[in-house]
Amino acid sequence: MPDIKVTTRSIFLVFLKIGTFAFGGLYSVLAFIEKELVHKKKWIKDEDFAESVVIGQLTPGPPIVNTGIFIGYSLKGIRGGFATVAGQVLPSFLMILIFSYLFMKYRDIPLLQSMLKGVGAAVVGLIASTIYSMCKSSLREYKSISLAIVIFICMALFKFNPISLIIASGIAGCLFFRGGDS
Amino acid sequence: MEMMRFFWTLFYVNLFTIGGGYVMLPILHTEIVENYHWLTNQEFVQSIAMGQLTPGPLTIMNVFIGYKVFGFLGAVGALISSYLPSMIVATIVSRYYLQFKNSWIVNSSFKGIRPAVIGLLGAVAITLAGESIIDLSTAAIAVGTFLIIAFTKSDPTFVILGAGALGALLY
Repeated sequence: MPDIKVTTRSIFLVFLKIGTFAFGGLYSVLAFIEKELVHKKKWIKDEDFAESVVIGQLTPGPPIVNTGIFIGYSLKGIRGGFATVAGQVLPSFLMILIFSYLFMKYRDIPLLQSMLKGVGAAVVGLIASTIYSMCKSSLREYKSISLAIVIFICMALFKFNPISLIIASGIAGCLFFRGGDS
Repeated sequence: MEMMRFFWTLFYVNLFTIGGGYVMLPILHTEIVENYHWLTNQEFVQSIAMGQLTPGPLTIMNVFIGYKVFGFLGAVGALISSYLPSMIVATIVSRYYLQFKNSWIVNSSFKGIRPAVIGLLGAVAITLAGESIIDLSTAAIAVGTFLIIAFTKSDPTFVILGAGALGALLY
């Protein structure tokens, strides 16, 4: 696929840049990756990029990391895939280490305690907004709406294990959504 | 020994985290808070905030959890065990992606998993809300955050920082 010479090192460096500036959700980061790899470096074509986004969402783990692995693998094999993970993860790993250290050191200060009250409430709002946007994109007809409700009840009221619920819903998907793309 | 159990837990949690970082939260919450009691609900919420304050996927919050429970070694191990499933599965899939992408099993399973994840996340949101929303001001912050992020496409990082500043002023 690539015409230009791509080294593992250069893959690492591009993804280091992506990992450092990857604020603001999946889609802004994907746009950033597209700009860097498709338009600037021309390592991959737009169709390959679209393919990598799909694969990223169909595999376990963070979609952006998986998209990176797919791109890295297609450019330079297993080492290329590994380089994208290392590059993407390194900046946030260092940052969260520093945060963790500071947090453990200063967590008993009253000021931090009151800040955390506000932050905790914001996290709940954040999760709610994620649910809202997922509802908009995935709940289009009665089958998926009822599945969402059933799973919610199984988890909230009956405390079923979420892993078994995910497996069960995958099987339910095979039974109810086979063929047509509802 | 307990640290190994923690790493193994992160490994399988991430193995079942299919389709986005938030899918991880219900599974992670069940294992880390309810089964093994490594964190309280409140500490779990703080870990989510830490994951949001750093660039990149939310998964990095596992490093914070590792550091908090087991120190530096826990942080490094958490990083490796959280990303290992991605690296193994995504690499294999990259190799056979045409067969994988066009398989009806993969596509119809996802049609079931996507709505299910909404239900799971809803259940966790209620548990965490019970812990974090303690009075009128925290309720207002939660609703405000929801409205800002759902309808203005603002960056969650700044909203969380803003909520922290509000907390400092209010309490």
